[in-house]
Amino acid sequence: MDKATLFQEISHALVEFEVEKVAELAEETIQQNIPAYETITEGLVTGMKEVSRLYEEEEYFLPEVLMCSDAFNAGLDVVNPHLDKNSLEKPIKIVIGVVEGDTHDIGKNLVRILSGASGFEVYDLGRDVPLNQFIDKAEEVESDMICMSTLMTTTMDGMKTVIDRLKERNLRDKYKVLIGGGPISQTFCDKIGADLYANDASSAVRKAKELMGRA
Amino acid sequence: MLVREDILTPKERVMALLTGKPLDRIICMPIVTTNTAQLIGKTVKEFQLDGKVMAEAHLAAFKKFGYDLIYLFTNCSYVAEAMGAELDYSENEPANCEVPIINSRDDLSKIKVAEKNDGQLPVYYEALEILNKEVGDQVFISVCFSGPVSTAATLRGVEAFARDTYSDPELCHTLLRMATDSCKNLIREIVRYGAMPIILEPIASGSLFSPKMFDKIAFPYIKELVDLSHELQALVPLHICGKTHKIIDKMTDTGSDVISIDKCDLTIAREKVAGRALILGNIDPANELLFGPVEEIEKVCVEAIDTMKGYTPAFILSTGCETGNKVPFEHIQAMLDVARSHGLYEYKEGE
Repeated sequence: MDKATLFQEISHALVEFEVEKVAELAEETIQQNIPAYETITEGLVTGMKEVSRLYEEEEYFLPEVLMCSDAFNAGLDVVNPHLDKNSLEKPIKIVIGVVEGDTHDIGKNLVRILSGASGFEVYDLGRDVPLNQFIDKAEEVESDMICMSTLMTTTMDGMKTVIDRLKERNLRDKYKVLIGGGPISQTFCDKIGADLYANDASSAVRKAKELMGRA
Repeated sequence: MLVREDILTPKERVMALLTGKPLDRIICMPIVTTNTAQLIGKTVKEFQLDGKVMAEAHLAAFKKFGYDLIYLFTNCSYVAEAMGAELDYSENEPANCEVPIINSRDDLSKIKVAEKNDGQLPVYYEALEILNKEVGDQVFISVCFSGPVSTAATLRGVEAFARDTYSDPELCHTLLRMATDSCKNLIREIVRYGAMPIILEPIASGSLFSPKMFDKIAFPYIKELVDLSHELQALVPLHICGKTHKIIDKMTDTGSDVISIDKCDLTIAREKVAGRALILGNIDPANELLFGPVEEIEKVCVEAIDTMKGYTPAFILSTGCETGNKVPFEHIQAMLDVARSHGLYEYKEGE
């Protein structure tokens, strides 16, 4: 199989969430001495881009995205040890989590999966995250963005608190703030002065890239 | 806006609807549940664990608003709890299941089909007994519970459950079977108290699963619950949160008597449900109802009523999901005020 066909097959198998096939094909790229970087960007990431598209168009849903991400990771596990780290462009760094008081993390996990698959460097703080931790972690890893999610109306205000604390610490301009989740709306985003609202994981990644000038 | 006092009691109004008699106004059933605890100075935790507190809180709220249905509800995980899952209770948040009990097939021995007195189910019976006695002549009472998909997903963890739909459908269906049987036991008891069972399926939402998957994991099990309720002569609403525009016809196909919707365009709902069921919805409790102002709430309620004008059997003005603790009570009142002004019908006594 030539390189282009291999990448196509990887991408296709990933979209069909054939985990083992993705791993086998990735193995073959190693045997053919194809640079891991190319396999990732032209095979695996291309596949996940298609998954994102299918998700945004409501062809794929939670189970399909999770299965595809398993296939993506299976391929990544094979090629990663062979990756020349210098070949990667500087990734967008994000700190992500579900705000304090809420443990619903499906949406947040979808953003983690799709942004990770788009080459973001993702620091996942998990769920029920103390508000200061968003800022402290962003400072620690020199993140580009802070992403917060919640499914509950009772915890929405936590997002505003984080933005207020960023202002207090004179850090507001240092980070882009992206918010999302069931009860969140553009109205709420404007109200609390966040930079970006997305109503699904796929558009979150797309809009984040646009905001960072990487579209 | 001139608010007219009600002529019928909520129970008379709903009975009039069901028997084709004239109504004094549009039926209005905002989903007011745990937030009633604030009215009597109790915590959410007390409300969830003590039937007397639950009843007292609902009595206070019913007296305040005079809406057309009392919704008894504590949290989305209590059927799973009755099957063996452990919940975390905090003072002012609904209890939830932090750690799924089913991590592999071996864990199936840790759960069972819930019987009527398992977990915190008796809290509901205690509340029902008090409420029946106090206001049972004036208003219908309902009990909301998570249906098979949401219960199975709680037992397994939502993401693991989602993967299972492809990687281990058998485990998926084993859990769905047990959850369905547990729900059936609860339904029998709810109906025995003269209350209405309401199936909630937040996890079967069109935001999480495809319509195709809904057919496999949700439809047959929900239909079983609907069929049982009908056998027991009870009406049964089906509430699904989030997006439902692609599954609302399937929701209706289950035979549910009321389709209760959240983020679904009413025009689409009207077209797809097409007179086969009542439509209940869908003022956003996380947007207009949370932030107001009252004028905005009035505006969206009026819009909803106008969009659904002439829909038969009927459109019920309600919220798209439960009203959270932070929704101001004046905002719930604003909704009822619309029902008592813009939602008025010509009504002639004895007709």
